[in-house]
Amino acid sequence: MPKEIFELQDREVWDGNYAASQAMRQANVDVMAAYPITPSTPIVENYGSYVANGYIDGEFVMVESEHAAMSACVGASASGGRVATATSSQGFALMAEVLYQASGMRLPIVLNVVNRALASPLNVRGDHSDMYLGRDSGWIQLGAFNAQEAYDLALCAFKIGEDHSVRLPVMVHQDGFITSHTAQNVYPLSDEEAYKFVGDFKPVDDMLDFSRPVTYGAQTEEDWHFEHKAKQHKALMDSRPVIDKVFEEFEKISGRKYKRVESYMMEDAEVALVGLGTTVETARVAAKQLRDEEGIKAGVVAIRAFRPFPFDLVRDALENVKSVGVTDRSSPGGAMGAFFNEVSAALYTTPKRPLVTNYIYGLGGRDFSIEDAKNIFREQKANADAGYVTTDIQQFSGLRGPKLGFFQTKRS
Amino acid sequence: MAITSVKNLKEFSTANDRFEGAHTLCPGCAHSMIVRELMNCTDDNLVIGTNTGCLEVSTAVYPFTSWDTSWIHIGFENAASAIGGAEAMHKARKRKGTLSDNDAPVKFVAFGGDGATFDIGFQWMSGAFERGHDFTYICLDNENYANTGGQRSSATPIGATTSTAQAGKHSYGKKEKKKDIVSIMAAHGAPYVAQLAPNKWKSMAKGFQKALETEGPCFINTVSPCCTEWKFEPKDTISITDLATDSLMFPIYEIIDGHELNILYRPKNVLKVEDYLAAQGRYKHLFKPEYRHVIDEIQKGVDDYWEMLQRREEARV
Amino acid sequence: MQDIKLKATEKRGLHELEAGKDLLGWDEVTQGSILPSFEGDASNIAHLKQEERDYSHYNSYTATVASWRVVKPVFNMDVCIDCQNCWVWCPDTSIISRDKQMLGIDYDHCKGCEVCVEVCPTNPKSLLMFNEHEDIENALSQWPEKKKKEKK
Repeated sequence: MPKEIFELQDREVWDGNYAASQAMRQANVDVMAAYPITPSTPIVENYGSYVANGYIDGEFVMVESEHAAMSACVGASASGGRVATATSSQGFALMAEVLYQASGMRLPIVLNVVNRALASPLNVRGDHSDMYLGRDSGWIQLGAFNAQEAYDLALCAFKIGEDHSVRLPVMVHQDGFITSHTAQNVYPLSDEEAYKFVGDFKPVDDMLDFSRPVTYGAQTEEDWHFEHKAKQHKALMDSRPVIDKVFEEFEKISGRKYKRVESYMMEDAEVALVGLGTTVETARVAAKQLRDEEGIKAGVVAIRAFRPFPFDLVRDALENVKSVGVTDRSSPGGAMGAFFNEVSAALYTTPKRPLVTNYIYGLGGRDFSIEDAKNIFREQKANADAGYVTTDIQQFSGLRGPKLGFFQTKRS
Repeated sequence: MAITSVKNLKEFSTANDRFEGAHTLCPGCAHSMIVRELMNCTDDNLVIGTNTGCLEVSTAVYPFTSWDTSWIHIGFENAASAIGGAEAMHKARKRKGTLSDNDAPVKFVAFGGDGATFDIGFQWMSGAFERGHDFTYICLDNENYANTGGQRSSATPIGATTSTAQAGKHSYGKKEKKKDIVSIMAAHGAPYVAQLAPNKWKSMAKGFQKALETEGPCFINTVSPCCTEWKFEPKDTISITDLATDSLMFPIYEIIDGHELNILYRPKNVLKVEDYLAAQGRYKHLFKPEYRHVIDEIQKGVDDYWEMLQRREEARV
Repeated sequence: MQDIKLKATEKRGLHELEAGKDLLGWDEVTQGSILPSFEGDASNIAHLKQEERDYSHYNSYTATVASWRVVKPVFNMDVCIDCQNCWVWCPDTSIISRDKQMLGIDYDHCKGCEVCVEVCPTNPKSLLMFNEHEDIENALSQWPEKKKKEKK
């Protein structure tokens, strides 16, 4: 037990970083190995203050790089206890090698990712480049859109990843500065409720259980590698019902409802915006206003669980709209946006195949305004009326200089 | 710590091996001699991390493991971090009482080749030493990237030929001197640092035991002659090690608390480095007349270093 | 003369490395490619001799590298002084010593590197290399006599 009890109010004013660090504290993490980087530094600093003041009885290992942080997390997690860390951007990129190792070894580490752009040019503000870098790493990726969600999802992350039918690492993403540094009302659970929800850590293949020595990190060449990666992918796909179950359990104790795909005003929507992160909240305001002001039947589809990608739920949410704008907050690097490609693939398997347009926006923390979101909806409405994509299929939104876009609809 | 008696080899040989055969290290490889000796030094449970390298790719190839203890490999560079994480978890769980056996004695060990230790994993090791994890880092120093076919590392000595620092018509092989890893690790203020060799099994066993018994991060550089890349017959691994220690190419010594230096082996008859170099194919080209100066340079480097070690030992500072 | 399967349990040296064992499907491989070394409780493993342990089929103890050899060491216990040089320097855990006595070679794990012969101090040597296909009894019958010291 920690030496001191942390006093919590029913309602706290926390930013996303503080919210995440409180969830780490309440989950009674055994080892936190971390390295500071803007904008996730305060998660580590807050945790450090809990350690210094006796609110933590786990180990706090301040390593010399993010690569070492994730490496220490892997060693700690294989040693049979609860492990968490936090990072952003360049730090995330430095961790990348070990992210694949953590998931390949099926270690349920929780990583708070405060999303930030990747250099060059150097930028400390929020976009989703780091989150995208992790998209093939075999981790579950959950997205928080505000501080409350950063707290809630961090607690859920332990319960999901540590479930014996899952045993996978989980990232909880929040947008750099917009979420991480904006103080908002947060309603925390009590320490008892939070820990009861997360539960005791139940080790699997524990390196510190000397009655059963285990070898971690064996080499598998062409005879074995494929089977292991397939088994791992299957586990990630099979985590979907567990995520749903954990969200349901969390709703019972908190009253806050989460779904892997969350629809807003989609019942009768004609056009939709699909987004990740804080963009979702902006788009929801825009959709509501457009319905009132311009009569456009706009709706928003938000992806809460980016991985495993909710292919079927995305399809169910969007198959009846006429035109969809898919937003990518990451430099696409010579292709259509990755999120656009994934949503489009899902829609391709529907009978009506809605029109799809890709918006690259908000790189390096460029503000995404309500008006920007409205423009996307208006263009979708024009597409819906015309029956084809009237603009470039990939467009840059909110960019200075001449309009930048690529590819047009092929019409017979 | 439950230590094995190393009073003599007969006593030592009653240890029950926890490193199994049918690993795929080359016949005659010194790595496994060193690993066996480490594991036979103690009865305690071991948690072993291994950086990518010959040892790792040869002892855990699915579906087989040669390790009878907990073992983990992550990458080329990060065994020290992984073992640091494991050691931290042990502390946390012991305090919380969540270990399956809270009293089971355990030692944490990381292995790395010279590629992992001197080069790519140096930062990870250095960080773990600064943080003071209670573990022993053992470098299996075969002076090249043997696992990938013998490329240069910063442990490759001047004059040796490797695939990326080749001897040729206009080259005598590696131009740069070997990094002095033992001094560097001693400079971390580590409580125990040593350079040991498998031919001197007793000093090696005692050094290993001292490192395992000492609280805090301990570093041991072990000479691990590589028949494949040094180009000698597998049967000669120990005799080559004899030449290495007796020519003082690899002096055997320890440094306690970063300053107290003790020489652990003084050859009765110090051999010329030439005898050591001549026994290995990787130095063959040095015996051409035009490269005589390189041999002289190597000899001078060895003499100077030995002089320095003796002076430091005498100084007792 | 040593038994070719000296101290071997029924599990020792069962599989060829290259063939591995049965190639399992994705649904059968171990989670996270993690390999348990033993069956059952292995808490006391440092105090058990190999033949007393319950190795899992993932332990390389159950594999063999005998096919690597073209020559093999043969042990002559009549000459051996149990110095244990061969035991301490064998890179393949293939010298079988029990209670301070050298008993022979583990032919499932020996790769024929000849280090044991090189480090053997007796005269004649207690370990000598023979062709892999040489019969052990036949090898022992060819054992050389003690060499006389050359006068300087």
